Amino acid sequence: MTLFRSITKGLAVLAVSVTASGATEFPDRNIENIYPWGPGTTMAISQIIADAMGNELDVSIPVVSTPGASGVKAFKTALEKPADGYTIFDGYVAPLVLAPLLGNADWSYKDFTPLYSATSNSFAIIVRPDDNRFPDLPALFDYMRANPGKARYSTGAVNNLPHMVLAKVLQTADVYGTVIPFDESEQAMKDLRGGVFDFIITNPGTYKANKDNVRVLAVLSELEEVVAIYDGAPRVQDYGYDLGMSGLSPMGWNWWLVRKDTPADVVETLRTAMAAALARDDVQEKLLNLGYVPTNYGPDQYDEIVGAVGAELQSGIDAIEWVMSKQ
Amino acid sequence: MSIFDTLIAGSGLFFTPLAILLTLVGCLAGLIIGVLPGLGPLMGIVLMMPVAFYLPPIPAMGMLIAIFVGGSCGGAISAIVLRIPGTPLAAATLLDGYPMAQRGRAGDAIGLAVSSSALGGIFGGIVLIFFAPVLAGFALRFAPPEYFALALLGLICIAVVSQESTIKGFLTGALGLLLATIGTDSFSQANRFTFGQYQLLNGFHIVAVVVGLFALSEMFLQVQSGRLDQKPKVQKITVSFKSLFMALRHKTNLLRSSIIGTFFGALPGAGGVMSSFTAYAVAKANGKSDVPYGQGAEGGVVATESANNAACGGTLIPTLALAIPGDASSAVLMGALLLLGFFPGPDLFERNPDVVGGIFIAYIFANIFLFILGILLTPVFVSVLKLKKKFLIPLVLHLCVVGVFALQSSVFDLWVMFGFGVLGYVLRKFDYPLAPIVIGLILGPIAESNFRRSLLMSDDGAMVFFDRPVSALIMVVNVLLIILVLLPDKWRVWKTRVADI
Repeated sequence: MTLFRSITKGLAVLAVSVTASGATEFPDRNIENIYPWGPGTTMAISQIIADAMGNELDVSIPVVSTPGASGVKAFKTALEKPADGYTIFDGYVAPLVLAPLLGNADWSYKDFTPLYSATSNSFAIIVRPDDNRFPDLPALFDYMRANPGKARYSTGAVNNLPHMVLAKVLQTADVYGTVIPFDESEQAMKDLRGGVFDFIITNPGTYKANKDNVRVLAVLSELEEVVAIYDGAPRVQDYGYDLGMSGLSPMGWNWWLVRKDTPADVVETLRTAMAAALARDDVQEKLLNLGYVPTNYGPDQYDEIVGAVGAELQSGIDAIEWVMSKQ
Repeated sequence: MSIFDTLIAGSGLFFTPLAILLTLVGCLAGLIIGVLPGLGPLMGIVLMMPVAFYLPPIPAMGMLIAIFVGGSCGGAISAIVLRIPGTPLAAATLLDGYPMAQRGRAGDAIGLAVSSSALGGIFGGIVLIFFAPVLAGFALRFAPPEYFALALLGLICIAVVSQESTIKGFLTGALGLLLATIGTDSFSQANRFTFGQYQLLNGFHIVAVVVGLFALSEMFLQVQSGRLDQKPKVQKITVSFKSLFMALRHKTNLLRSSIIGTFFGALPGAGGVMSSFTAYAVAKANGKSDVPYGQGAEGGVVATESANNAACGGTLIPTLALAIPGDASSAVLMGALLLLGFFPGPDLFERNPDVVGGIFIAYIFANIFLFILGILLTPVFVSVLKLKKKFLIPLVLHLCVVGVFALQSSVFDLWVMFGFGVLGYVLRKFDYPLAPIVIGLILGPIAESNFRRSLLMSDDGAMVFFDRPVSALIMVVNVLLIILVLLPDKWRVWKTRVADI
């Protein structure tokens, strides 16, 4: 009888715990953000949003740096996790759009469910402030034309978005130099300042941290509002050069994503929290202070925006091939 | 504003109960995180970042910097006590730290490691405070040719750390170099030796390799040696600050290794591991010790620990003065500073001298707290050795598995750890040194990428390494060292004289 009572009691406890666990609301534990680059300024951006979103959900959202293969490793790592909303892809343009275009990934942007877009950041061509050879962008191009292949520059990795945008401009101007790759763009900044490079491409975070030691020749965006981030520097188009890309295409940006088969109610909870986090004044202020612009695109705009970018970036890939064939 | 004005301005921000308490807590947390295999200072800083968001700037930075300082030393304790480097930084410390413990001097070895770390850290801090802008300017002159030459110098250190078996050392070093080629080539974007495994796109995780090679192989050997139920005899430890004087007895070694650590730390991308192996090699080449190096020489522990903690101060130099992080940990520290609303760089020194001063003072105090906490906790750390093997081995294996899994929540990393555990066991059975694998694995990518960058930027092929004065000087030293290593033993007397010089 005692044994029977114990078993009954045990089953009752089990039933209650199963019911309780079934009724547990999402989220009941930490959510991971799989970030595709090494630590640095851009990771701080994701940490600002993750922290605010974690506050909304009352859980912690650690940003896990998972660098490798231009973001492909991070995506593949996240794809191995269950579709339960506890893993968020920090969907930068490189792994989301470029990697499939380059044949390095077997997914498309349609294979993910978007939460919200996070931020965008533009790129700029910078030189040393005392480099009198290049008072402006046409002077740099004149030098490159007179000394084919001699100008040394870095965009971070070779096949990344900044190089695509620059290569497009170089192709348009019919000039080329020698690209020297680095894993992270911050490393290239040291060698620009040390005199190894003639120019490099930078992002707003790295520019802001080094602004007294560099000079912007041109901003690689057609958008007027981006100029203020680089303290009023001219855009490429202001010199009469065609950027060949529009809107978000020549800029870095990221959407936060989850796996396609994530339950709808979980997606909705995450979207609500992310929207609330991005709408906070303190969050917007912090992002803008670091030079990153909150994009505020909703999930309904995902296909339209990301799809358009993919088509334009193909021309950037072709431009890199052109530049590398000259080198 | 003079540096003294900066420090006075910063003292107002640091000398508050909250800032002092959090620096102390950060140091303790860093020590514990460093002791646990797999969890290093980087993970500690990342874990505490969300807390730092809600704190005033100096208490927040004090806590994070203290984790960096404590974590950089903590790995030495497990290396000494268990032959498990808690972090790759401590891989060189076990060369003499563990033999010291085996000779019944575990307490002395830990005390020496903690004291040397604190003294090296304070040296790095003083250089940071007084020479940051000068050294940052010097670091800017180090381009790919200089980095390649330095990496080559580090690889030659293999001959020194390989004890008496130089050939075996070079063989395992070559294995490390080969393993370093695994992953995506950042120049061509080609995947090398990944065999379709996405987990290998960025190569093997160095921590999984180090824990496998050293910790697992040691546990396998411990199991094989038997006596699992025997009560170990352990030196009775009392809290004593005498180790500070022990460390100061090696003042030349201490100063030289701290300079090496600060120098490598100040070069973005060079890092603490390179500094600790280089400092060890130089100490061994110059050292006159009662106990031979590799068998429990105090000088070995002093060299490696003072160098890798001096590198912490060194790495803050380009981070604060140039806004170019020296390594991954300082990149996260720079991110924290940005999130707190301060942009590093020369501007920070001009516009926010109080913040810069506060960070400097926090760094120095973190090292002082490291010394006090390390000494107070030494009996606790040594007490682990009192455990019978049948309890100790499962505990260590459990910590290894948890620590390595926590790196990337990856089961693959556990297999890597296991695989390198077996490899380490086999190599040790045949007396092949393991440290050269770590050196090869860490220096391989630095040497390869900077060699290729140098050739890309060169107008004259390999002459780029000799056209630049600093690079040429290091290359000449490298050539001389290679000749020295390759000379036959009958020239040993001459070799010893040259080494003495």
